[in-house]
Amino acid sequence: MKRLVSMTVNGEEIELAIPPYRTLLDVLRNEGRLTGTKKGCDVGDCGACTVIMDGSPVNSCLVLGIEAEGATIETIEGQHAGPDLPHLIQEKFMDHGGAQCGFCTPGIIMMTKALLKENPNPTESEVRFAIAGNICRCTGYAKIVDAVLAAAEDLRKGRTL
Amino acid sequence: MNEAAPLPKGNMGEPVARIDARLKVTGDARYPADLPVRDVAHAVLVTSPIARGRLTQLHTEAARAVPGVLDIIAAGDVDGELERPQFGNSGSTSIAPLHDRRIWHDGQIVALVVAETFEAASEAAALVRADFQAEEPSSGFGSPGIEIIPAAGASPLYPENPEAGDFDAAWATAEISIDETYSTPTQHHNPMELFSTTASWFDGDVTVNESSQNVTGWKNTLARQLKVDPEHVRVVSPYVGGAFGSRGPMTPRTAIIAHAARRLGRPVRCVVTRKQAYTTQTYRAETRHHIRMGAMKDGRIVAFRHEGWELTSRPDNYVVGGTGTTARMYGYGAVETKVSLVKADRNTPSYMRSPPETPYVYALENAMDEMAVALAMDPVEFRRVNDTMTEPIEGKPFSSRSLMECYDQAAEAFGWNRRTRGIGSMRDGDWLVGMGCATAVYPTNVAPCTARVRLTADGRIRVQSGSHEIGTGIRTVAAQMAAERLGAPFWSVEVEMGDSSLPPAPVSGGSTSTASVCSAVMKACDAIRARLFHAAVTANDGPLSGLAPADLGIADGRIVAGARVEAVANAMERMGVGEIEEYAEFAPEGSSADAIANLYKGKLEMRMGEEGAKVKYAFGAEFVEVRIHRLTRETRVSRLVGAFAAGRIMNPRTARSQLMGGMIWGVGCALHEATEMDRHSARYVNTDLQDYLVPVNADIQDVKVILVEEKDTDVNPAGVKGLGELGNVGTPAAVASAVYHATGKRIRDLPIRIEDLL
Ligand code: FES
Ligand code: FES
Repeated sequence: MKRLVSMTVNGEEIELAIPPYRTLLDVLRNEGRLTGTKKGCDVGDCGACTVIMDGSPVNSCLVLGIEAEGATIETIEGQHAGPDLPHLIQEKFMDHGGAQCGFCTPGIIMMTKALLKENPNPTESEVRFAIAGNICRCTGYAKIVDAVLAAAEDLRKGRTL
Repeated sequence: MNEAAPLPKGNMGEPVARIDARLKVTGDARYPADLPVRDVAHAVLVTSPIARGRLTQLHTEAARAVPGVLDIIAAGDVDGELERPQFGNSGSTSIAPLHDRRIWHDGQIVALVVAETFEAASEAAALVRADFQAEEPSSGFGSPGIEIIPAAGASPLYPENPEAGDFDAAWATAEISIDETYSTPTQHHNPMELFSTTASWFDGDVTVNESSQNVTGWKNTLARQLKVDPEHVRVVSPYVGGAFGSRGPMTPRTAIIAHAARRLGRPVRCVVTRKQAYTTQTYRAETRHHIRMGAMKDGRIVAFRHEGWELTSRPDNYVVGGTGTTARMYGYGAVETKVSLVKADRNTPSYMRSPPETPYVYALENAMDEMAVALAMDPVEFRRVNDTMTEPIEGKPFSSRSLMECYDQAAEAFGWNRRTRGIGSMRDGDWLVGMGCATAVYPTNVAPCTARVRLTADGRIRVQSGSHEIGTGIRTVAAQMAAERLGAPFWSVEVEMGDSSLPPAPVSGGSTSTASVCSAVMKACDAIRARLFHAAVTANDGPLSGLAPADLGIADGRIVAGARVEAVANAMERMGVGEIEEYAEFAPEGSSADAIANLYKGKLEMRMGEEGAKVKYAFGAEFVEVRIHRLTRETRVSRLVGAFAAGRIMNPRTARSQLMGGMIWGVGCALHEATEMDRHSARYVNTDLQDYLVPVNADIQDVKVILVEEKDTDVNPAGVKGLGELGNVGTPAAVASAVYHATGKRIRDLPIRIEDLL
């Protein structure tokens, strides 16, 4: 039996008929057709499915779609600095080579956004611990941290998230 | 410019950002399981809970009663429809899970449940009950019931054990000797993208969307298994979420899913759980090593013996065989090697990033460090004494070897001279500081490859080659090669890869891709240049008419000879063409006459680094600083510095990225990774990313990569040595060396864990 759930995804209010047992990750990827959010484990171990829900980062594989009733969800698809302009964090990930195979990247970018919203001035070690739950097996860790710190630096110069 | 984009030195290309960086950071890069497929059914595997025995009965009634279940395929259901998988070339194993009732290993596929939804298939799969006639399994080294056979001759890839001189006689003359054993554990690739297969049939043709490192090989392998002509099979893999060897050979699931889709008359998608991937995909075999090394007091090694044992499955002789590299690494004098396979009730292991070098060089470099200590020599100087431009097995020269240059540059950047010799002599508060180093090495392999390049009159270039973007940046470097040869800007190039309908490229393994693909792209571009140059010089009234084609060059969209120029577009207009397209076949020196034909058939002929008149290897030197807590023995890698020389560097940015990723992989290998096994049941225990430890961001601190200038025209036309599997080779031994320096404990069995240091 499907349930009707409404949520705001990337600023757009949507209503979806979803089975009650389906995870938010699968809802976004299937019913929502937003496949930028990735499945790397489906059990909360890897961070590839990170989205921002009501302002906080969550592993969307650990949230049921129906729990998102009334929630505001931000995914990688909603990140831009303007029409056809990448978001500040995306821009820094490109500059610093933060994506290799790219599979962990959307989750890490969403985690970074959540981190910088809360702490626009993180130390290197704060960055490392904040994104420690996002595994990058290609292991771009050094470059990812450089990208996050560069984004933070631009925030200090007045750019916005 | 930032650190991610090192300034090019001599023989290096521009550090351009990845051609697909934008797609990757926006989530627009589509991996196979992202592809929307109309009317797709979802499949879930049912796997064996025992490691050895026979499946006697499968009870599927409860599973079939789950609403939405469409089909259950089990032993017997593929008879006559599907050929058995084969081991070798593009196939990971000969274990035929739905042909046989025999259970060869833990987690073997016993059935496939197909349903309308993933959730229904999962629920039904959990309800399938199986009866087994279980037998006592042998889990691996030291278990009763294992079979040990010589590797030499057991696999065509390992014909013989390399050796030179009289080891016993030389060993007897040694003034200092090391006689030790080392081991490395089972490891799983764990790429971030889950393994998945999506198969759709249309009018007798099947398209398989699955992340692959070898679309052409798989197309042929799959066609044989499905009993159809290869022309009816297409394998598509545009983006791959990490591979590291795990997506090199095709595993039995792929054909089973394609068969399920054929049987159901509907597309079928199977996304394998991470847990099930531990047993249905491949892994790095655990290895044991016995090394004897004899040296004179002046540091010269006179005798080296490396014996290895490697785990494999009962039916398949997968050989790791790293002695080919360790036997050639230094100027040893006499060398003796031997490799044995230990056959147990396990799934068949396979390639994982630097398959032979990771375990074998770990053992060798650990022994080198032990010998340096025994000789009271600086480990860098000890390597210098034994450095050689001639490999000891056949006495062939190295095409180039910048090992000591790497050591010198890395040592300088690392501050090796600040290291004090004594064990535990360096401290920082409660932390014991240790410094160590080791050699990284990887053979320069190259393989036959084809490519098609099209230049249009408006200056756009399209490159097509069935290689694979697995995170290496191959699309980017292929575009750079085309841009450079055709004198066009990088942004004007578009690259298509990851599709078996493109001109075939070799498996993206053995670090061959950049060398092979760039050599083929270069050849196609050169054919385009030749046509343009011919048109330019033979024109009656052109600015370049009458010149020799050899005197022409191409830059910024113009054909040039000194001050005389003609726009490429002009030349094309005169030729009366809107585009020039060339298809090129590149076969490395020494290839057989059938090399390209075989490539089309999915039979790979890779030319290995040790073949040919000169041996070809890329080298590097890695330095590591560890901090070990005085009381808790927590071990942190605080600094990593690596210097690497790999011939022509197409793109310093992607090269640095590959090497850095490799070095961090090496930290995982040194301190974290091991798939643990319950020895009694021969089953893996830690089959998820919570318990299979890999480095996370918080484990990594300062990592520095130095690209050392090197030119080598012997390796291949592109002058490129592969480096995707170089960075991780030296790290584990360098960490072990640093741990010894900090604590005096010589850990010979990986991974190094707190309990080893208490
Ligand atoms: S997919 Fe959600 S944490 Fe891995
Ligand atoms: S870029 Fe491949 S997993 Fe992070």
